[in-house]
Amino acid sequence: MGTFGTLTTIAFRNLNRQKKRSFLLGGAIAFGILVVTLINGFAGAFQQNLAANMAQMNAGHVFIQGVEKTSKDKPFEIIRDDALLTKTLEDSGIKYEAIARRSWAEGSLVFEGKRVQQGVWGVNFETEPLLTERVKLRAGSWDRIHEPGTIILNDGIVKKLKLELNDKVQFELKSVTGQKNFGDFVLIGVSQDMGMFSSMIAYTDQTYLNGLLNIGPHEYEYFAIMLKDMKYTDRDTEKLTATLKERAQVFELSAADLKAVSTSASNMSSRYTKLQKLAKNTTWEGAKYRVFSINDTISFIEDVVNIINFVATIILIVLFCIIMVGISNTFRMIMYERIKEIGTMRACGMQRDSVRNLFLMEAFFLATAGTVAGWVAAGLFMGVLSLFNFGTNSVLSLFLKSGHFSFSPLPLSMLGNFALVAILTLIAAYLPARNASRLAPAEALRSSK
Amino acid sequence: MRKVFFRLMAVGCLLALSVPAIAQTPDFQAMVNEIDASSSFKGQDFSGVFTIVTDKPGKKQKVSQIRMFRRDARDQFLILIQLPEADKGQGYLKEGDNLQFYDPTSRKFNHSSMKEALGDSEAQNDDFSQNKTLEDYNIAETGEATLGKFPVWIINLKAKTNDVSYDQIRLYVRKDKPLVLKQEYLSISGRLMRTILYPKYAELGGGKFFPSQMLVIDEINKGEKSQITMSEMSLETLPDKVFTKAFLEQAN
Repeated sequence: MGTFGTLTTIAFRNLNRQKKRSFLLGGAIAFGILVVTLINGFAGAFQQNLAANMAQMNAGHVFIQGVEKTSKDKPFEIIRDDALLTKTLEDSGIKYEAIARRSWAEGSLVFEGKRVQQGVWGVNFETEPLLTERVKLRAGSWDRIHEPGTIILNDGIVKKLKLELNDKVQFELKSVTGQKNFGDFVLIGVSQDMGMFSSMIAYTDQTYLNGLLNIGPHEYEYFAIMLKDMKYTDRDTEKLTATLKERAQVFELSAADLKAVSTSASNMSSRYTKLQKLAKNTTWEGAKYRVFSINDTISFIEDVVNIINFVATIILIVLFCIIMVGISNTFRMIMYERIKEIGTMRACGMQRDSVRNLFLMEAFFLATAGTVAGWVAAGLFMGVLSLFNFGTNSVLSLFLKSGHFSFSPLPLSMLGNFALVAILTLIAAYLPARNASRLAPAEALRSSK
Repeated sequence: MRKVFFRLMAVGCLLALSVPAIAQTPDFQAMVNEIDASSSFKGQDFSGVFTIVTDKPGKKQKVSQIRMFRRDARDQFLILIQLPEADKGQGYLKEGDNLQFYDPTSRKFNHSSMKEALGDSEAQNDDFSQNKTLEDYNIAETGEATLGKFPVWIINLKAKTNDVSYDQIRLYVRKDKPLVLKQEYLSISGRLMRTILYPKYAELGGGKFFPSQMLVIDEINKGEKSQITMSEMSLETLPDKVFTKAFLEQAN
């Protein structure tokens, strides 16, 4: 066995000799790692779950919008050429599960002097029958949804307006070109409360909504594609853009625009918002298309996740600054306790560097064991937390996976945390290690400490 | 022969009776242009103070006050909010198609829209700007009625394009003077959405009339209305600096 092997053995033995102390120091490290891994894991899954749930809500992972301009150069969304988009999708080779062709109106619901903002989806229930199975109602039923002017509203909105089933509510909206219009809805069903997302979830018959939007019965605003595998969302969006570009005009963000989205500190707007702005600043004839993914609409969440991860790293550093003081003091104590032992080892021919390395190895092993224990504890915590079902009827469910917490810790970030912990622990142990290595063997042996 | 004679006589009488009626039917196109011209201040500046009292069901009555400066020759206007205290110093500056809103708290200008409501009231920015009705609307139908004690012409306007906020507007114009007494705004589906009543006008000289009182009614949310009273109206020339961002910034 070489010097390294001998030192490793001694280091392990020393850690094992003071089980309680090693356990406490390792435990402190493990706690820090546990907290940070949990935060990182939640932040990672937060983005994935939100994208998956938003995709369910919006009936797709990848979307196409057609944009035209009014005589006064004002852009508005409309899709008239369905055949072009269907053919493009087939030719792109994208594997998809379903297509939804939806209309969308934003406006105000007015009932007995109360007014709330509401977005309403116009759905073709003949081609989207699964929606009625997926969106569970807490009151009423989907039976009459084919009747013009019937609506399913969210519980949050129903409570705000103090509505009851079969109440007639007025809807003030703007047509696709921005003209004011007005319609009546009869409440036939109430879906689960989705908190701050309540104002985005309401469903009505597409033909009726198209009438209010002043577009034809076969026209619509969103061509939504539900992919077979969500992980290919970005790749498939690029594929679809490239295929559509060969046969129609398509909006595309320049590298500079994309950079502006990702670097501007004050800019929490999504890539989709940037894409929308392009329509205001460019001129074209006829229809021009906008291809985007669910990730583009929530790209600002990436910033939120980055902030969470940054805060987690700061927490880790602060925790370890505190732990470092403990480690440094402990190793100083260890040095005094082992003064005679160090003297003996030095008298037997052990070099100064080896004494220092022995202490550093102990610190490194402590950091490694603590980190591994932290990861194991985090894994256990994640497992236990993911057992709880928080249901799918609250705003929290948007960040959950089928009502359960899910975690996606990034291996690279975990290794980064380990490296940080190892470096900080080594720094904390370095001074006591150096002092130990500088002890003269004779003095150490003479020491009565 | 006698039958034919009497028939001809009857037709002749009917034609004779209808001639004055045809002669009395005004040129509605010219009438709408005249209405726009009477409240337009080309070659003159206009300023005035507008007090807006807004009522909304279940809410406390709100009083706001704005000072307006208009220069129609350059399609400019500046609105300075004086009341309520919380909004004091805010303002709008319009130059051509560009409308900017100034917030003294952030000291920033943001792009705004003429269709935006003024504060929390029922009034919109374009209620105070010059009208170019026939640029956006065609006269679809006309009729006559009596509004209060005034005999009025009813002019139904239909949007030429789908760019304007309201698809249809109905004007009730006094027969004796080209003054609008009531204006109704209708949705694409033909539903009444908003009504403005003009019970009083002030004559500013030179054939210029400006409503000294307006009542803006939200027809969807019943009970929501704003009463606007104009005062300190003047056609005196305003300094150029009034229509600048600096003026808004220094107004505090």
